[in-house]
Order: sequence, then structure tokens, then C-alpha cells
Amino acid sequence: MSEQNNIPAVSLVGAKKSFGENEVLRGVTLEVNRGETVAVIGPSGGGKSTLLRCMTLLERLDDGTLRYEDDVVTEGYGVYADKRALAKARSHFGLVFQNYNLFPHMTLLQNVMDAPVQVQKRPRAEVEKEACALIEKVGLTGNEYKVPCQLSGGQQQRASIARALALNPEILYFDEPTSALDPELTGEVLKVIRQLAAEDITIVVVTHEMAFAREVADRVVFMDGGVVVEEGKPEEVLVNPTQERTRAFLERYSG
Amino acid sequence: MTGMLFEGFGVTLQIFFFTLFGSIPLAVPVALCRMSKIGIIRTITRAYISIMRGTPLMLQMFAIYFAPYYVFGIELTTDSKWQACIVAFIINYAAYFAEIYRSGIQSIPRGQYEAAEVLGYTRAQTFVRIVFPQVVKRILPAMGNEIITLVKDTSLAFAIGVAEMFSTAKALVASQVSMVPFAISAVFYWVFNFVVEVAINWGEKRLAYYHD
Repeated sequence: MSEQNNIPAVSLVGAKKSFGENEVLRGVTLEVNRGETVAVIGPSGGGKSTLLRCMTLLERLDDGTLRYEDDVVTEGYGVYADKRALAKARSHFGLVFQNYNLFPHMTLLQNVMDAPVQVQKRPRAEVEKEACALIEKVGLTGNEYKVPCQLSGGQQQRASIARALALNPEILYFDEPTSALDPELTGEVLKVIRQLAAEDITIVVVTHEMAFAREVADRVVFMDGGVVVEEGKPEEVLVNPTQERTRAFLERYSG
Repeated sequence: MTGMLFEGFGVTLQIFFFTLFGSIPLAVPVALCRMSKIGIIRTITRAYISIMRGTPLMLQMFAIYFAPYYVFGIELTTDSKWQACIVAFIINYAAYFAEIYRSGIQSIPRGQYEAAEVLGYTRAQTFVRIVFPQVVKRILPAMGNEIITLVKDTSLAFAIGVAEMFSTAKALVASQVSMVPFAISAVFYWVFNFVVEVAINWGEKRLAYYHD
């Protein structure tokens, strides 16, 4: 383990991705260290979501390398590792979707337990204990036997965080976790993420919540036009940006 | 007279259950082939579904009944009619059910597949644990419709000479010069379908514990 301390939890270098004529990622490099919390901000269509989808293997890169510690996903030219290697790479991370994507036919407890039991083949009793602890952690104790449609949006998003955490990922990705929520429900979700950021789990969050990014992130990455325009400490990027595009975006956002 | 109709009704029930037990599972691979990534498999399945839905079941029964004799020169036996009837019903209904399954499978949002993929489910696990249970709920009303049609379609077997209830009723009407056997058989079909409706409603209620 000790020699892994120096290599990033995830390393994406020179990522390129096009949809037809539309170049969405034009050579993005993003390395995230263990325990770090990174917020990715930027205008819609700037490539943030595609970046996250590529890092979580939901989309394939046309070029660029991606690795999770020693597990290589792709070494470029869109050539990917075999199925087993990809499955191993997937075990490094979890993803929280904008629309939660909980399994509607399962109770909250089943949603959290199913992957550890079915995918990791772990004993049910042990998984159930952990699942209940996770449900408590996201503040949903008492709702174990409710199905997603009986939960509010904020509760559903917290449930999906618990589901992702149940597989013990080293990295947790959030794709605009509060964008589908009513303003009064975003707080409860951000609170959970804030709490996680303080722990040793690595977090990459695509967000439009600037105040939140400033508060929780160790590093802010500003993306526009398929490239990383600027990155650095939140107070640098969000308060004293060096790039004109960042400044324009932030002005539009606060204005 | 009612006794004879009961006997015929027994045959009707057999056609019904043989068809369901054959076509409901058979329609799963048919639906999957219909959505296959391999073009030729998709095209063949589409042609099969098109023929099954586009021609009368009665003609399909005749085709299956006579094909062994005309194509392979196999002698037809007394069991041939029954076998042809069941095979025709199964492959005909599998085509309809497959299209219902396909509509159900394609209505499951992409996000469900993506969530399963990120959580590490295999394709088979995703289908069995995530997609299939949701599909069942979505297709149940359409399946109920089709199953009710099947109850009435069993009467088509009379055309090939299978002695199910409608054939019996027709024979009784001729011999007794009375329409009463038809009326009684109509009541039988209706009661049968009433039971089917109750069963489908029960299934829908059981799955009503969630909505999307």
C-alpha cells in the first residue's frame, strides 16, 4: 500500500472525446490524489458531464490514457483493457447520478445491499449491517423498507450516495448531485457530501453550487470548450481567477 | 349436453395452458433476438414476427399440419392435428408476446442500465435483477389483453378438427337444431376470461407497491 501513496487515485491524461463532429473533450488532463476533493465547474456544454462519464467508463475515450492506480483502463487511441480489467477498474469508484437512478422496484435497503451481495458476493448478514450503518450515515434511518417513490428527491439522492458507498469505493464521483432538486432539498444532500469530503474518501464533484465548491473542495477545476481552462485552490480560481473565461463565467454566475 | 361441452372445455383449457407455457418463455429469446446487435438475427426475427402477426392463425395451423406431409413426405397420424394446433398457437403467440416484451424492455430508462453498469453488475445480472422485474410490471396490462384474446382464439382449433369446446358446440347445434349450445359455450368463455381478468388484476395489485 505504501508505494501507492504517491500515485494518483485516478489519472486521466490527454482525454479526447467527440460525438460525431462535436469535439466535447479536447485533451483534458485530470489527476486526483487520494483523499482529495475536487470540484469541477464550468458552463453547460463545456464537457464536465462527458468528462465524468468517460472517467466512470460509461463513455469511451477516443484518445488519452486513463488509469486507476495500477489498473489501466486505456493507454490511448481508444483501445481499452479487457472486460476483467475494466471490472477491476470499476471497483475503484462509485458514481452518484444527477437523477439518482435508484432501482424503483427495490426498497432502500435492497438498493444499498444488492450490489455488495450480487456483485461482490459478500455475505448477506454482514452487508445488511453495513447497509444499515450507511443508511444512518446519510440520515435515512427508519426508511429502510420504503421504495424510492416514497422518498423525497433529497432523500433519494442521499439513498443513492449510500448505495454507491456500499461497495467501498476509493473515489466517489458526483454528477451535478443537486441539479434535479428543489432548492430547499439541496442542503441535506450537500451536508452529506460535505461530511464525506472531511473523510479520507476521494471525491470528484461536478457542480453548479459555487459556494459549496469553495467550501468543500481542495481544488477547483474550471472547464470550458472541452479543456481545463484553469485549476487551483478554490480561493484562487473562484475569487481571483487568472483566466478571462473563468472570470466571465463567475460574473455571469453571481450576476 | 353440458357434459359434452365440459369435455370440449377440457381440451380448450389444454390448448390455453400449453400455449401459455410454451409461448411465454419462448418469447424471451425471440424478443432478445429482435433487439440483437447482429443485423441478420434481427432481420430474421423481424420476418418471423411479421409473418406470425400478418397471417391468420388458422392458416398457420393448416401450414404446420400439412407441411410434414408435403415437404418431408411424413405420414400424418391422428395426433398430428393436435400437435400442429399446439405448435401453431405457441409460435404465433410467442411473436405477440415478444413484441410486448420488447416494448417493455425498451421502456426501461438508460439510467437504470448505467447505474447497474457502474455498480459492476454483469449484463445477465442487470437483466435478471434490474430490468426484468420492472418489465413485468410494465407489460402486465398488455399481457392481460393478449391472454384474454388467447382464450377466445382457442376456438380456432375447430378449423383443423381439434375437438375443443367450440367444435363440440357446433356439432351439438347441428344435431339438436338449437342455438343453446352456442349460448352455453359463450358463457363458458366469458367465465374463463373473468378468471383471467381477476388473475391479471391480482398481479397488477401485487406490483403496485411502487411506481416510477
